[in-house]
Amino acid sequence: MKDRKDITEYCVEALQKAGLQKSECFLHDTRKDELNVDSGEISLLRTTDDTSLILNGILDNKKGTISINKIDRQSIDDAVKKVLDLAESSEADSANDISPMQPPAVFEKGAQAPDLDLMYTRMKDFLKYSSEHYPSLILEQAILDFTNINKYYRNSNGADLQSRRSSYSFVPMFTSKEGTEISSFNYATFSTTELDRNLHECGTIDILMKQSTEQVRSREFQDKFDGDIIITPDCLGTFIYMIAMYLSDYPMIKGTSIFKDSLGSEIADPQLTLHSRPLSDELAEGYFITGDGFTAENSTIISKGVLNSFILSLYGANKTGRTRAVNRGNAYVVDPGAHTVDEMTGSVERGILLCRFSGGRPSENGDFSGVAKNSYYIENGEIKYPVKEIMISGNLKNLLGNIKRISRERVNFGDTILPWIQVGDTAIFGK
Amino acid sequence: MVAVELGTYTDLFSEYTELRVQENRIMNVTVVNGDVMGNSRSTGSGVSARTFSKGTWGFASNPVIDDENIRKVIGAATRNSQFLAGREKRTGYTLPSSPGRSSEDFSTKKKRFSQKEIIEFMMEIDGRIDEKYSRVVSRTSVLQLLDMEKSLVTSDGSSVYSMIPRTLLYISLSTEHDGEPVQLFNAYGSLGQFEDLFLTPEVLYGRLDEHYEHLIRKAEGVHPDSGMKECILDADLAGILSHEAIGHTTEADIVRGGSVAGDYMDQQVASPLVTLVDFANRALGEICPVPVFMDDEGTVAEDAVLIDNGILKRFMHNKESAAYFDARPTGNARAYKFSDEPIIRMRNTAILPGKSKLEDMIASVDDGYYLMKPSNGQADSTSEFMFGVVQGYEIKKGRLGRAIRDTTISGVAFDMLKTVTAVSDDMKWTNGGMCGKKQPIPVGMGGPAVKCRINIGGK
Repeated sequence: MKDRKDITEYCVEALQKAGLQKSECFLHDTRKDELNVDSGEISLLRTTDDTSLILNGILDNKKGTISINKIDRQSIDDAVKKVLDLAESSEADSANDISPMQPPAVFEKGAQAPDLDLMYTRMKDFLKYSSEHYPSLILEQAILDFTNINKYYRNSNGADLQSRRSSYSFVPMFTSKEGTEISSFNYATFSTTELDRNLHECGTIDILMKQSTEQVRSREFQDKFDGDIIITPDCLGTFIYMIAMYLSDYPMIKGTSIFKDSLGSEIADPQLTLHSRPLSDELAEGYFITGDGFTAENSTIISKGVLNSFILSLYGANKTGRTRAVNRGNAYVVDPGAHTVDEMTGSVERGILLCRFSGGRPSENGDFSGVAKNSYYIENGEIKYPVKEIMISGNLKNLLGNIKRISRERVNFGDTILPWIQVGDTAIFGK
Repeated sequence: MVAVELGTYTDLFSEYTELRVQENRIMNVTVVNGDVMGNSRSTGSGVSARTFSKGTWGFASNPVIDDENIRKVIGAATRNSQFLAGREKRTGYTLPSSPGRSSEDFSTKKKRFSQKEIIEFMMEIDGRIDEKYSRVVSRTSVLQLLDMEKSLVTSDGSSVYSMIPRTLLYISLSTEHDGEPVQLFNAYGSLGQFEDLFLTPEVLYGRLDEHYEHLIRKAEGVHPDSGMKECILDADLAGILSHEAIGHTTEADIVRGGSVAGDYMDQQVASPLVTLVDFANRALGEICPVPVFMDDEGTVAEDAVLIDNGILKRFMHNKESAAYFDARPTGNARAYKFSDEPIIRMRNTAILPGKSKLEDMIASVDDGYYLMKPSNGQADSTSEFMFGVVQGYEIKKGRLGRAIRDTTISGVAFDMLKTVTAVSDDMKWTNGGMCGKKQPIPVGMGGPAVKCRINIGGK
């Protein structure tokens, strides 16, 4: 069998014939072309092909899942037998289900194949720019890849979805060094469907490289105070993913989510509106088909501070008796605010420009603490100096409630679009 | 895994070449409050080739392991390295070679459990927690099994086979205190297949009782006072410190990338009480959690003594970094999946035991903390680190006091290790997580307890 749709059809039929009452099949073909820089030199060109075939079967409400990366008939037949064995071995759970019949759909985004010569040229130009403009910066590693993924989904309710999407992504990792003084390591991420500009012009890459060279002279302070933090777009994603975690299946099913009773309630300052837009044309990344077999839709998770939606899968929704989210999160977009970044900085009496957060996993009650990396001390409305060995701590619920300002300016990273956010009353302490 | 005689393809090698066939087998069973939420098995296998041409590398992989695709990946990898070599126009150099032959299989010799028996095991654990621990309001048990099976041949004459399994059971218990959830998780397991580690649920009961007791104390615990404190880091935290804060800075590719360790060779970087080693496969007469006998470049693996009595002595190398630093490769090149290229990774990183008794170390602290279990950890090229701490106690006038809630510790490792004033005479290994560095990979971390000064986060 060569045709992917024939394969998914065969899989679903084979699962049904084996006795599974409900079944579904995800087939993904992924090709990645990846250009690597190590220690400032182009080092590796890597081409990988892989296939992922995931078979889910439900028997008397008992579910089994097998994942393989082969699509020959013998491998599929063996996998089907194992799905049955797993389902028979499991415990019944009425929340197990598959998506209903949906109109067949085919989605497509991005180029079919990479332009390897252009990837090489862009990388060479980036190396030249970096060494000419930031001679003290050491590019530990930089990865430019083109990934093309074909996805096929079919289930025993008749759902039949298909998508192909591709994008380039670029991740440089760097530190700066002058004599024996070095900065903290930092990195930037960016995704795009076209390599239509220089790599250093994408996202915040140039800003972070410049900051890295300044951070060679980072200073510590021995003080402890409650102040403002201005979370940069590079760092904001970390906090959004933390918050999204509390809205998703596991904490909601366990009943330990700090937001479990907050649907329709204000959980953040009204300035905050958070969307998940996997279908957005503004974003290079995203998805058309959810992990539970639905056509994805865009959604608003927090609307003017009010919790509008959890991020529950079909299973999570069945288990909690709540509404299934129309997507599985990610592709986050935060609406712009009313202030410039300069106005926000100018309003800070004492605080930190938080550029990266290296923190422990937040507690179930939302408490978090960690180190302010690659960050700056702000006093009397001015950025004073880069800091090191500074920790911050707080609680995610309080953080959302203590939002003071959101910037007009936003950064499109290709997978998210995020502004700067100013938060008050955060514990900041040095050694 | 498909048996393939890779030696028959060496005639196709026109450059320095590695040819690898690999299969990773993963099993996951997740039970949440009595419901089986995860019940899956996954197998990912394929063939890959990596070639080296005039200072540049090419890599290619394919999931189908047959004659046609093996030939294809060798050709594609060679074309990739030549694509770069033709543009970069470097002089190139010869990679050092330490070839050998090795075959290591850690598969269980016991009869394998069926999926039903494993799920029954998990349900019995879940049932005991529900029945015995009255203040637990939510419980999660996650069983993760990983078998990594590899065959490798290289153009410089190495031939390697290995099957290294790992079995881990993560248990998370939550209670409530003043209406807020309080959680404590623990990881059980290590090297070996399920049958070698968890023959019956009873083997875990004693440790689960301790787990619950620590949870209840934590629920009634306090937030630590923030700032520099005298602390005893127990073995699990000493292990993550060895790995994250010191180990990564001494990986030779990170050193080339600007790590602070690059300037410290042969200098005092820690208290003379500290000797820190990345063990290849055996330590103190015992097999390590992640034994590596030959690495994925076909190099015979050797121990790397990174810090010897406080002096930085060595970095960890693959072939390319060894050539750059004019050093010997240490066998640290490892790949996670068939489609991953080998990169410099730690294996089993640990501080060696000292001569102090843990109880004497605790008794010597007037006002500080005994920190026992980490959650996650991160460090950077300056050796500045951050670890989440999920289990610990106050020490007041030499005695353990109240438990503490989740917190974070941080510092600069090469400064902090100079404050070490005692190292306990015991040692414990952990193998509970994945190290992340482009690819994930299982690693072992270990150590004794160490007494030091460290910055602790409060509220």
